[in-house]
Amino acid sequence: MSARLAPGGPASPKLDAPRPSEGGPPPLAERLLALTLSAEGWRDSILGDLREEFCVIRQQHGEVPARRWYWRHALAIGSRRLTSRFGAGRRGNRSWVMPPDPQSAGWRAGFARDVQHAFRTLMRRPGTSAVVIVTLALALATNSTSFAILDALVLRPFRFPDLDRLVMVASSDPREGLFDRESVTAGDFRDWRREARTITHLSAAEWWDANLAGVEQPEQVAGFHVTADFFTVLGVRPILGRTFISEEEVQGNHRCAILGHALWTRLYAADPAIVGKTVRLDGAPYEVVGVAPPGFAIPFGAQVWAPLAYSPQEWADRRNRYLMTYGRLAEGRTIDDARAELGGIADRLRREYPETNRDIPNGVVTFTAGMADVATPAFVSTILAASGLLLLIACANIANLLLARGSERSQEFAMRLALGASRTRLAWMQLIEAGLLTTIAISLAVPLAWLGLALSRASIPVAVLRFVPGWQYMDISPAMFWSTAAFGAFATIVFAVVPALQTVRADVADTLRQGSRATTAPRQRHWLRNTLAAAQVAITLALLFGSGLMLTAADRAVNGSLGFDKDNLLVARVILPEGPYAEPERRRQFINGVLDKLRAIPAVSSASMVSHLPYGQSNASREFWIDGVTLQPGEVRRVDYRRVTPNYLETMRIPLLAGRALNDGDGRDTQAVAVISRSVADRHWKGDDPIGRQFRLTKEGPPITVVGVAGDVLHDWFQQQRAPTVYRPLAQDAPYAHGFVVRTVGDPMSMAGDLRRAVSASDPDQPVVGLNSMDGFIAERAAGLSFMAKALSVVAFIALVLAVMGLYSLMAFMVSRRTQELGVRMALGATRWQVIGLTTGHGLRITTVGLIIGAGAAVGLGRLMESMLFGVVASSVWQLAALATFVAAVSLLASYLPARKTARLDPTIALRAE
Amino acid sequence: MKNPYLGEFEYAVLLAILQLEDAYAVPVRVFLEDRTGRPVARGALYTALERLETKGCLRSRMGDPTDDRGGKPRRYFSVTSLGLRALKATHGAFANLTRGLETILEQQ
Repeated sequence: MSARLAPGGPASPKLDAPRPSEGGPPPLAERLLALTLSAEGWRDSILGDLREEFCVIRQQHGEVPARRWYWRHALAIGSRRLTSRFGAGRRGNRSWVMPPDPQSAGWRAGFARDVQHAFRTLMRRPGTSAVVIVTLALALATNSTSFAILDALVLRPFRFPDLDRLVMVASSDPREGLFDRESVTAGDFRDWRREARTITHLSAAEWWDANLAGVEQPEQVAGFHVTADFFTVLGVRPILGRTFISEEEVQGNHRCAILGHALWTRLYAADPAIVGKTVRLDGAPYEVVGVAPPGFAIPFGAQVWAPLAYSPQEWADRRNRYLMTYGRLAEGRTIDDARAELGGIADRLRREYPETNRDIPNGVVTFTAGMADVATPAFVSTILAASGLLLLIACANIANLLLARGSERSQEFAMRLALGASRTRLAWMQLIEAGLLTTIAISLAVPLAWLGLALSRASIPVAVLRFVPGWQYMDISPAMFWSTAAFGAFATIVFAVVPALQTVRADVADTLRQGSRATTAPRQRHWLRNTLAAAQVAITLALLFGSGLMLTAADRAVNGSLGFDKDNLLVARVILPEGPYAEPERRRQFINGVLDKLRAIPAVSSASMVSHLPYGQSNASREFWIDGVTLQPGEVRRVDYRRVTPNYLETMRIPLLAGRALNDGDGRDTQAVAVISRSVADRHWKGDDPIGRQFRLTKEGPPITVVGVAGDVLHDWFQQQRAPTVYRPLAQDAPYAHGFVVRTVGDPMSMAGDLRRAVSASDPDQPVVGLNSMDGFIAERAAGLSFMAKALSVVAFIALVLAVMGLYSLMAFMVSRRTQELGVRMALGATRWQVIGLTTGHGLRITTVGLIIGAGAAVGLGRLMESMLFGVVASSVWQLAALATFVAAVSLLASYLPARKTARLDPTIALRAE
Repeated sequence: MKNPYLGEFEYAVLLAILQLEDAYAVPVRVFLEDRTGRPVARGALYTALERLETKGCLRSRMGDPTDDRGGKPRRYFSVTSLGLRALKATHGAFANLTRGLETILEQQ
């Protein structure tokens, strides 16, 4: 058995002196073994022997194999001791296994026989068994799918070596709600990097949407400017070339790039000689110095990296907060050490730069926590919770089926008890039956779960994937298999315990005397079954309500009132590189050039530009100062800030509520003007006419005059707020990044080619990003919500089917047990409808109780979802009432159908039924 | 008192204990595996030792607790006179059975 690991020389078994310092064998194994050895003088010596051998094996083979070895032998010795003790203790009495075992056969033979017996029992009722297996397989598959999604997206979205040593530092306190990873100023970062001892290689990254030209069609590539040690921190080595060196962090030396594997394969045909060649990024030549390994796209799907090179002034900046930082914990240091140290540095910076750093907190989180998508955990745990409830419904369902069958089998059990079987033994056999059912169900559930995962993967749109780390791991995996097995074991225990308890409680003499002609089962069992059925109805209602909430939320996100007309709109984004477009006039020329070409097309009714598209990923805001208004200390008023062409409001069909729109007369040299949204007027000039009032965008900035008030627009649906917005003319402030909106006469997507041509006519190097209809753009933004809503609806639908099935089979069973009684009643003159009422009434009572409890649960669930999903959902009483009615109707039908069948029987046949 | 009957494994265990000085379970098992060329399950060995002690063929004493055993003492075994008699009887029985078969059993 263990000859390979046998310690010492054989003839003189001399044992090397073990090192006791490294900690002993696995404590749990040791404790378990000690339990089996209790009350005998042997315990200490056996434990000692094993520990002695463990030390030797650990020295020879290492810690892990030694622990494994210990577990194996502890279990082997323990089980042998147990069986020998039981064997000895019960010898001469009634054997603890039934039928009595020849001592030599051992527990294995007994177990095999039990399984055979269970299999035969299940095959005797193939219908019921099939229902149980399918029900369980569905529920298990749902749970495994949700678990695999949770595992991929929330628990382990990143998988590379030493992940637990990686941290992110930010000027954001994770305890105060959301962790803002892009919140570090260049100045703070430089100080942290210089001073931190608990973190080696602190590195920083800055967003860079790079325009890649010189390829077939210019395109925008997700890129990042990173400090030289970025790849070192993450422990990633390029497959070609090298990483950056610190000399390249200096401006002038910084024109080199590392390409992502996917980009290199797609655009450069995996050219092995790419290193040393030049690519055009943002209009400038960059030398390719390396290619990242396949699959590496950190952060956020990055496909090109270049050195972060700042001027000394930029490195001293402590106002603009946009850097992300990644660090590796120093050897032997923990994240708490890093928190303490960086907290100290932050305190010093606070004293040194009170102007900028006074309220700047400082947070250190693990890499996984820092990179997590904000909404994903809430979404995924909701799905997982829903699947958990579904599993409970399935278990209740199966328990009820087994109970029903159990009461049919009560005769058999009573007979066995009378013949000398112990109650434990009977319970054990039921457990084996349950285990067998689960095993078959698991083998069905794994392929089903795989299918569910494939569907889930397919339903996440590509545009969202970049922000959902870990989606590529949503696949069949050992973790998924183990989770299925764990859920299966849970289910087995849940649904086997109920009938087992019932068996144990049954009174032998009573049951035997009652015989098969018993009219009704004992009251107790009724109670159990009714409770289970009512619980199913309750859980179903809660699940339906929850998924209904998500569906309405997703629908409102896509079709709700947004403040503008989203039909027949074509949108696209263009980000001008800073180099060639440093002059505002060049940016204006570019924009007006594109718009002029678009407006010349007959199918275009209006075309305009806005710096940030509503519903877009990005936003820009400014401080909002009004002369004469003093703010509380620390109070900052902010507004969303948009630079637009004069006809923007018209193109978007945003209503103008007062004053005038911007027009071509608002030029560079005229008065600085703005149109504000209604919520700005309501908030800052309550009741007064805002037209002609002035405000500033920085404390000392130039005054800007309000000329008009426009309707509010929903910028970010997830915040559910009408964003206070200031619109300023392009002529007075030209942005680099902007979105084109084109109102078309027909299908907006038919104009996509025209927009692309208009852009490339103005600048052939300039890529167009996110060309889409406004409808599609919004649908993409709401994709996460829609995915979630769809997933929940699938779960809720399965739950409904299972619950109805459960109620139907329960009612059918009840009615069949009462056939004789109903026959007597009919023979004595009861009408068909009275009989139907008698049985359906029972179902109605179960349903009512279930619905009342379910409504309570649904309201609680609604509250929970409202708090978890940032006001995305809002519960509605009407929705709840409608769903409750629906569930009631379906349940009523499920209990009416079996009753009708019996009521149609001839009383003479009914009387003879068994 | 009648000599107790020894099973094959018990017979082997007693022989091993006689061969070793300071015999406790770990070296006994190693010795058995080495001389018989067959793996010996620890659980089986403990069961056999316990049974032999119950039968009176073995006597055991506890050693001093040591650190490398987590403070647990060793249990040293020695063969009792009854054990020796049982061993002799079993050995004799085997010897009777093998008499005349030496040519077959001992040629390699």
